[in-house]
Amino acid sequence: MNSTEGNLMESAEKKKPNYYFIWFLLFVLTVVEVGVAYMSTLPRNVLILVLLALALWKATLVAMYYMHLRFERLRLILLATAPLPLAIILVVVVLLEYAQ
Amino acid sequence: MNEAVVMSGSVVMPGGVSAEPGMRVYNQKLGMWVFLTSEIMFFTSLIGAYIILRFGGGAWALPAVPLSEGGSPLNIQLTALNTFLLICSSVTMVKAFASIEHGDQKGLRLFLVLTVLLGATFVGIQIVEYTVLAHEGFLPHCSAELAAVVPSCHLFGSTFYTMTGFHGLHVTIGVLCISWVTVKAFRGGYSKENHGGVEVVGLYWHFVDLVWIILFTIVYLI
Amino acid sequence: MATVEAVAGPVAHAHHEETGFIRRYIFSTDHKVIGIQFLFTCLFFLAVGGLLAMMIRWQLGFPGKPLPGGSGLPDTMAPQGIMLPEFYNALLTMHGTFMVFFAIMPLLVGVYANFLIPLKLGAPDMAFPRLNMASFWVFVLSGIVMLASLFVEGGAAGAGWTAYAPLSAVPEYTGVSLGQQLWIVSIILFAASSLLGSVNYITTVINMRAPGMTLLRMPLSIWSLFITAILALLAVPILAGAVIMLLFDQTIGTTFFLPEGGGQPLLWQHLFWFFGHPEVYILILPAMGIVSDVLANGSRKPIFGYHSMVFAIIAIAFLGWIVWGHHMFQSGMNPLLGTSFMVSTMAIAIPSAIKVFNWLGTMWRGNIQFNTPMLNAIAFVAMFTIGGLSGIFMASNSVDIFIHDTYFIVAHIHYVLFGGSLFAIFAAIYFWFPKMFGRMMNETWGKIHFALTFVLYNLVFFPMHVLGMGGHMRRIYDPTQYDFLQRFQGTNTFISISAFLLFTAQFVFLINFLWSMFKGKKAELNPWRDNGLEWTVPSPAPHGNFAVTPTVYRGPYEFSSPLVEEDFLPQNVPLDGERAGVGAEG
Repeated sequence: MNSTEGNLMESAEKKKPNYYFIWFLLFVLTVVEVGVAYMSTLPRNVLILVLLALALWKATLVAMYYMHLRFERLRLILLATAPLPLAIILVVVVLLEYAQ
Repeated sequence: MNEAVVMSGSVVMPGGVSAEPGMRVYNQKLGMWVFLTSEIMFFTSLIGAYIILRFGGGAWALPAVPLSEGGSPLNIQLTALNTFLLICSSVTMVKAFASIEHGDQKGLRLFLVLTVLLGATFVGIQIVEYTVLAHEGFLPHCSAELAAVVPSCHLFGSTFYTMTGFHGLHVTIGVLCISWVTVKAFRGGYSKENHGGVEVVGLYWHFVDLVWIILFTIVYLI
Repeated sequence: MATVEAVAGPVAHAHHEETGFIRRYIFSTDHKVIGIQFLFTCLFFLAVGGLLAMMIRWQLGFPGKPLPGGSGLPDTMAPQGIMLPEFYNALLTMHGTFMVFFAIMPLLVGVYANFLIPLKLGAPDMAFPRLNMASFWVFVLSGIVMLASLFVEGGAAGAGWTAYAPLSAVPEYTGVSLGQQLWIVSIILFAASSLLGSVNYITTVINMRAPGMTLLRMPLSIWSLFITAILALLAVPILAGAVIMLLFDQTIGTTFFLPEGGGQPLLWQHLFWFFGHPEVYILILPAMGIVSDVLANGSRKPIFGYHSMVFAIIAIAFLGWIVWGHHMFQSGMNPLLGTSFMVSTMAIAIPSAIKVFNWLGTMWRGNIQFNTPMLNAIAFVAMFTIGGLSGIFMASNSVDIFIHDTYFIVAHIHYVLFGGSLFAIFAAIYFWFPKMFGRMMNETWGKIHFALTFVLYNLVFFPMHVLGMGGHMRRIYDPTQYDFLQRFQGTNTFISISAFLLFTAQFVFLINFLWSMFKGKKAELNPWRDNGLEWTVPSPAPHGNFAVTPTVYRGPYEFSSPLVEEDFLPQNVPLDGERAGVGAEG
């Protein structure tokens, strides 16, 4: 609309990621995830940790590259991730209360 | 006009003078990010309830274990395909955005149409999945036969349908919004200088994909 | 959808003069009109909540006696006018519900976030005017659904405004089915309305401040509304999720909160209070911000400790996320967890106290103007302090063993919500009335209303501390059934009579409000001689707000400045040698 907004758009362009490469990564990670889920030989705790790590990796890729957080100002990243500590507090505290 | 003022890229107010720089992100984009943080909290309540009820409770049906042995009734292969389709739709969505950033109208339209088709397919497959599960007796309140075999069946059904149902609702709304953007794109409503609507709907769509990535793992695979 | 439309919107409106009555006053996208719409709607709901309270007090003051006018009620509620226990439960549930969701919260946020944010920041309107309009009408729909729930078969929800499961989840336990479901639907609609509002307020405060209006030059009313909007943005969705799960438990056979299906009743409490505690800060922070503005104005002095006031608002909001367990101290939680909640709850007293001392510091040696808004604001400080002090007792896990679910808690709630929030709302209404309607409310009747309200309100709620300490439980239909409560019956009657008088006294306010809208003394531009940007535009403020976007040179509390002769110095008035300081920070 105005020159600065044009500049904002252009600067995002210069640092554009390779979307297809990220897509390939996401595909591989998904395949690995499904494979790991079928590996019943793993101890349950390790299985859960590995799967969660893989899921978080995929989610981070989407957030960073498809939602362009990687190229935004820090304050936008802080805004976007601000709810996460709250979510973790709620789930962890209540889970600890009731875990058997 | 006050030349000393930094133009913020947000709304230009009457009189031609701009605003304090703020977030240095235009209003609609900031508004969408703010909205998405509330969506994170909404899914936290649903997914958090699932985590608490499952991991704070007793036995639970495990994936990759036969149903007769008390395993999960969910179809991992079909849903893995569905997950891949949704990820594909995220790629097409961001490619649509990248196209219009270069002023490529044809690319914009092509990738938007693909996104709509992929998104609609995701919903379709999920409806099929729900139908099959319901037929097996896996419901928000399980059939007596299934509840006898699958541990914590009622809780599983309750949390499964609530989480994936609301996610599916968000996907459906996303498909409708992207369809609207697609129609506007075919009418030449976006340009290299002016395509905030594509970016903003794209953010929503990627978020929906992101939530599914989490859901697929913790509901189907763990 | 992009910026082109956003630019065209406010500019187009500024030139368009032939909008009909419907577009201008009913389906308006003007934030000021929306704020006034919220004001009328919420004063109505305040009256509804008050009426419900009068019925509660009738039963407590005169147990088992026929309610005046009660013979008109159906036999399912009050046969021969004597209310049934189930009806009493519905009354207290709906009193809490209407007051929290449809009166106090929207009076503070729906009215003043809408009305003040663009005006005080130098913006022509909100970031998303049409979403703003949607927010109001969804709120109205939510209110209609909640009102409707009073009249359905089975009666209104009767599980408390806190709707604990499984009482709320199983119709057989309360005899209420549709009423509770409508309650939930209404809350879901309310959550949607709140969300639309929050997105608007946050985006506007971040992105649409006039040049020179850095964050640390914003009035405290705006700071508090901004932080409140963030709290609402993140807390209300949790409530939405929880009530959806509750609705599913009631209707489609899920078992989230039902033990017989493997569910956890306490999960409801955790989810509800994880929302519920930030909610109470939503109910008090805007009041605090408004009081700061009014006190500085009424003392003709800068607010004492502006930066620490901002810090305190943020600290209260921050800490407010990790104290929710203090509503559940007696639920059987791990004592270690209980202790951590106790510590964090007591810690919140610190920023709250900072604010109280700063208000005192503001007034100290000030040139106090005892006008109606100021009187209400001063009352806020005193009453909030009392409410806060009772909160300290409740914060102690061990003390709470005795006072949980007693009238001590009821006293606390009402000291902070009535003595706190409602007095601040009164201050706000008197203070910004001229900017809304172009006329002043009558000062004499304002002072009479204040005096009556202040005295009677204390007569109603202070004795409740004593009741609570004596073991008088809350939400009880007939206290006389207990021997150990017999000695309190006189107090209960006293409270009830004071409450009836208190309710009656509000008619003074109502008449003053309505009469002044049409016949009040015409207001000048800046009747309170205040520094805020809203006082630089005509009264009532025009569509589009500012003919020329103001430039801001200083904070909003430059009262009695040595730089000028007058005892106030508006934010947008340039002095020799002063710079606007534009673009200093985002």
